Amino acid sequence: MSVIAPNFKFSEFVKAILDNAFWILLIFVLIGLPAVFLILFYIEMPVINGELLTPFLALTWLADPSRTLPILKAFMTTDLFKIAAFPGFGFAALIAAGTIFIERKMLAKLQLRVGPFYCGKFEGILQLMGDGLKLISKEIIIPAKADKPIFWAAPILFVATAAAFVALIPVAPGWVVADVDVGLLAVFAVIGFFPIITILSAWSSNSKYPFIGGIRALHQMVSFEIPLILSLLGVVILTGTLNLSEIVASQSNFPWIIFLPIGAIIFFITILAELERIPFDLPEAESEIVAGWLTEFSGMIYGLVQLGTYLKLYAFAALFVVLFLGGWTGPMIWPPFPEDIITNGIVLGPITAKIPGLPIFSQEMLNGVLWFVIKTMGVIFFILLPRGVFPRIRVDMLLSLGWYKLIGLAFVNIFIALGLLYAGVLGPGGIL
Amino acid sequence: MADVVFLALSVITIGCAIAALEMRSLIYGSIALMGTLGGIAGFFLLLDSPFVAMFQLAVYVGSIAVLILFTVMLVKRELIFKKVEDKRRKFVGIALMLVFIVALGSIIMDSGIKTITTDEPAVDFRNIGADFLTYYWPALILMALILTSSVTGALILARREDENEQRTD
Repeated sequence: MSVIAPNFKFSEFVKAILDNAFWILLIFVLIGLPAVFLILFYIEMPVINGELLTPFLALTWLADPSRTLPILKAFMTTDLFKIAAFPGFGFAALIAAGTIFIERKMLAKLQLRVGPFYCGKFEGILQLMGDGLKLISKEIIIPAKADKPIFWAAPILFVATAAAFVALIPVAPGWVVADVDVGLLAVFAVIGFFPIITILSAWSSNSKYPFIGGIRALHQMVSFEIPLILSLLGVVILTGTLNLSEIVASQSNFPWIIFLPIGAIIFFITILAELERIPFDLPEAESEIVAGWLTEFSGMIYGLVQLGTYLKLYAFAALFVVLFLGGWTGPMIWPPFPEDIITNGIVLGPITAKIPGLPIFSQEMLNGVLWFVIKTMGVIFFILLPRGVFPRIRVDMLLSLGWYKLIGLAFVNIFIALGLLYAGVLGPGGIL
Repeated sequence: MADVVFLALSVITIGCAIAALEMRSLIYGSIALMGTLGGIAGFFLLLDSPFVAMFQLAVYVGSIAVLILFTVMLVKRELIFKKVEDKRRKFVGIALMLVFIVALGSIIMDSGIKTITTDEPAVDFRNIGADFLTYYWPALILMALILTSSVTGALILARREDENEQRTD
């Protein structure tokens, strides 16, 4: 007797499978075949390469890689692919999911725990999927006196803003969703939306703990935006551009962290504060105000806020890589695509398959993505690390750190950049 | 295409501005104000000046609107949802606004704006920066002095007398 399905009978299982097969066959014969003939008789099909495109020919093409690869490559240059899959949302969500798992496992190892262990055969690797399914299946509870429109809209807006931030990040040469001239300013504009969404969602839940957390988040984010913007001006002064792709291209010889280490440190500290991570997690201080501004969220809207938070984490880490660590630049370590396959095709015994359209990605692009991901994961590691090490600091210490020390240091950083520029060492017309 | 976007932006901007004045709830009013400011940023994007548009978003939506939201949340709860109605003031306000718009419009129409050619390439923001630092430097210095004095004034106003009671780190 099984625990999961106590009324399980093998005969009924077989019967169910046979039933399904019967119905699928019947529906296909009664609806599918007539549909194909309707298409053949009544709709004018296009002629491609001198052949009339019939549904059967289209199916044949799908099975033939030499004909599907060009279609795939054409699809990969479209905006839809860029926004949804590669440099945009899908790629960032994948890295965000990896970050969540690494964070839980690494924190557990730091604190001599085991961490996620049972979900999935190997080291709890399916824990995240289980958590996601749990969040989707849970009920969304809305507080009785909440302001419903804002309460519903806030998590969606949060994810949308994080996705807009992700869209500005260049991942490999030419691979960026929105390559705008004023990329860095656009980043500042997008960052400015996070405190608004936070305080609105905190207010809309009409509850004490979220409101206190929201006010704290507002204080923290708004006051740390100033050193964040000031710390990046050094890079802008030295490169003379606001376009993120051009900033990366200017670091082909050396990353800016060598000349502007103070700016990099200030930016890293402000990242921690903007992301509300320990030691600056006052808005979500679980020992004081339950979960801060996330207290009243439940079910999938909590999941959406978490997704937005980790997308934001990826975007900030990627911004650090783009501005200070040289983005995708790095020695060529990706092996070149074998020439054999392009000229002779793949030989499998008596069969030779010639596949035009390979390689799908160029060697430079793959190498760039590899270096970008390695550097970004390194920065994410350093963002996660303080959580296992430091306690939370007081709010007055936080504000004095932001307003006195970081802003002062940011001006020191700007003067270093100006000195390097006017001494003729770096920048346009510099000796390096 | 640009006309459709322009019309949509106008509707959003003006509609949000009216909503910001007429909304019962102050919070929704400030959200509508954000919509207005964002719509103006959209106009700047249409005018081929993304630099100004991004500053509009970062400063007005990102800072001023946050300030207004914060102030609204400090207001007493009853005041957030109630509003004093006064018919006469409303009509006088609308009349004043119409007079103001007509006057401003006539000034703009007489200022020779019709002779501007619109198909020229957009001005690079680097040129604006260079102009500010060379030809218009007195204006820049004056602005910097005004900002510094206002920040100093705000700091003096916000200073507390009971400094001894503050915690020391």
